[in-house]
Amino acid sequence: MRDDIRVNWKKLLSRILLYFVVVLICLFILYPYFVMFTTALKSREEIFSMNGTVFPLKYMWTNFADIWSRAPMAKYMLNSILIAGGSTLIAMLCGIPAAYALARMKFKGQTAFLGFIIVSQMFAPVVLLIGIYKVMQILNLTNSILGLVFVNAAFNQAFTIWLLRGTFMSISAEMEQAATIDGCNRVQAMLRVLLPVAAPGIVTTLIFIFINAWNEYTVALCLISTDTFKPLTVGINIFNGYNMIEWQYLFAASIFAIIPVVILFMSIEKNLTSGLTAGGVKG
Amino acid sequence: MKKKTPHRLGRAAEPYIWILPSVILMAIFIIVPIGFVFRMAFSQVTKAGLIKGFAGFDNFSKVLGSAKFSMVLKNTIIWTVLVVVLSTVLGFILALLLNNKFKGRKIARAIVVFPWATTLVIQASAWKFIINTDYGALNTLLKSLGIIQSNINWTPTPEAFFGWEIACGIFVTIPFVCFTALSGLQSIDNTLYEAAIVDGSNYWQKLFHITLPLVKPSLTVATVLNIIYVFNSFPIVWTITKGDPASRTDTLVTYLYKLAFYNGKQGEAAAVSVIGFLILLVCASCYMVSTLKKGED
Repeated sequence: MRDDIRVNWKKLLSRILLYFVVVLICLFILYPYFVMFTTALKSREEIFSMNGTVFPLKYMWTNFADIWSRAPMAKYMLNSILIAGGSTLIAMLCGIPAAYALARMKFKGQTAFLGFIIVSQMFAPVVLLIGIYKVMQILNLTNSILGLVFVNAAFNQAFTIWLLRGTFMSISAEMEQAATIDGCNRVQAMLRVLLPVAAPGIVTTLIFIFINAWNEYTVALCLISTDTFKPLTVGINIFNGYNMIEWQYLFAASIFAIIPVVILFMSIEKNLTSGLTAGGVKG
Repeated sequence: MKKKTPHRLGRAAEPYIWILPSVILMAIFIIVPIGFVFRMAFSQVTKAGLIKGFAGFDNFSKVLGSAKFSMVLKNTIIWTVLVVVLSTVLGFILALLLNNKFKGRKIARAIVVFPWATTLVIQASAWKFIINTDYGALNTLLKSLGIIQSNINWTPTPEAFFGWEIACGIFVTIPFVCFTALSGLQSIDNTLYEAAIVDGSNYWQKLFHITLPLVKPSLTVATVLNIIYVFNSFPIVWTITKGDPASRTDTLVTYLYKLAFYNGKQGEAAAVSVIGFLILLVCASCYMVSTLKKGED
C-alpha cells in the first residue's frame, strides 16, 4: 500500500532528523568539556601559540600531576568535602524534623512558615553578603570553614524542607500511627517507620544539598581569605592570575572539581526533577 | 528521647519544637543578615563597615543618582529576561526531543545533566577561554575546519562580552528547564494523545491543546525559580568580565559586590541590595500566591 510506504518514509525521516538534532545538541553541550580536557593536556607554549590545534600536539599528562604540587589542591579538595559534607549534615538535621512537622502535624503559623520558606528562596546569599559578613564577624566565623557550613546549610533549608515535605506527604501515615499504638513515641515512629520508607527521597535531597554546597562560590570568595581554607571553586583561581592565566592547570584542576559532582548528579537526576515539580505543584 | 506529654500545653508546643532547629538556623544566617542589610541601607557606614547613625534615604539617593546605576539596572533586566525566556523556550524544545523514545536516550539525558552539575565559575572559565581572540578554542576550531582564515575578535565591544555572558547563562540554565519540563511531559497520560489522533489532530494541535497546558504548571515553577536564580547570579559575569569596563557588563549583584568589598561603600551596596529585594519581592509574591493557591485546589 502506497500510503503505508509514505508514512514509513515520513517516520524514518523524522527519526533521522531527531537523531541528527539530538547528536548536534549533545556535541554542543559537551564542547566546553572537550575544550577543558584538551587544554588541560597542552603545554603552556602550545596554548598561547598563534597556530593552535584542536588536539594537543604533545599530550602533557603531567599537568594533572603538577597541579597537586603547584597548589594546595589536596587541601582545597578536603575543604570542599568538609564544607559540602558539613552543610548537608546540618541541613538534614534541621530539615528532617521541620519537614516532618509540616507533613504530619497541624499547627498555628504553618502557612506562614511555609510562606517564609518560599520567600527565603529569593534571598540569594550574594545579595545578603554584607549582612552575612557582619553576622560572621559577631560569631567570629569569618575566614572559617564552619562559617561556610552554616551559611550553606541555612540557604539550602528551603529546598531541603520542600523536597522532604513532599516525600513525607506522599507516604501514608498509617504505619506510623500503628507504631504509635504499639508504644512508640513520635520520634521513634519517624526514625524507625517513616525514614526507611522515605530513604530514596532523603538520599536525593542529601545529594542535592551536597552538590549545591560543593559548587558554591560567591560566599566562599567573600568570606575566606586564607588560601588553605579555600574550597576548590575558589582555590583553583590560584591559576587564574591577574596578568597571566595558567589555563592548562586551571582546567586540569577544574576536571577534578567537576567529576565527583557529575557522577552524583546523574545518580539523582530522575528523582530530583520529579521531587522539585511535585513539591511546587502540590504546594 | 522525649517523654510523651499528656499535658495539653506540651502537645500544643510539640510542632514548634520540631521546627525549632530549622527556624534558629534560618534566623541567624538569613533573617539577621536581612536585618543588617536594611539597617545599613538607611545608615551612614564607614569604610571599615562600622554603622554610624541614621542617614535616611541618603544611600538610596546616592545610588539612584549615579549614572552607572541605571545602566546596571538595564543590564540586569536584559540579562534576566533574555536568559530566562530563551532558556525556557530552548529547554522546553529539548525536553520535547528527549521525550521521544529512541536508542541512546539515557546517554543523551546524562549529557544534558553536565552543565547543571558543573559549578558556574568553571563553566564560565571554559567559555572565557573559548571566546578569546588570540588563542581561544573557537577560533582554533574554526581555523582547523577551514571556515575562517584568521582569528576573529568575538568580543570587540563590552556589549559583545555581555552577549556571550548571556549565552553562557542560557547554556547553564537549559538543563534545569529541560528536566522540569521532562518530568511534566512524562506524567501526561498517553490515552489523551491517542484520543487526539482518533479526532484527527495534527502534531501542532496536540502540542498546543494537550502538551502545553499540562506542562504549564511545571514550567511555571521552573520559570519563577529561574527568575530568582538568574537575577541573583554572580559567577558568570564575575569570571568573564568582572563587570568591566566601567560597569558596562555589571549586573546588580556584581555591582553591589564591588561597591561593598572593593570601594568600601557598604551603605550604598546595602541600598542596592534593598532595591534588588524589592524587585524580586514582586516575583516571589507571585510565586507564593500561585503555589499556595494550587495547594488549595
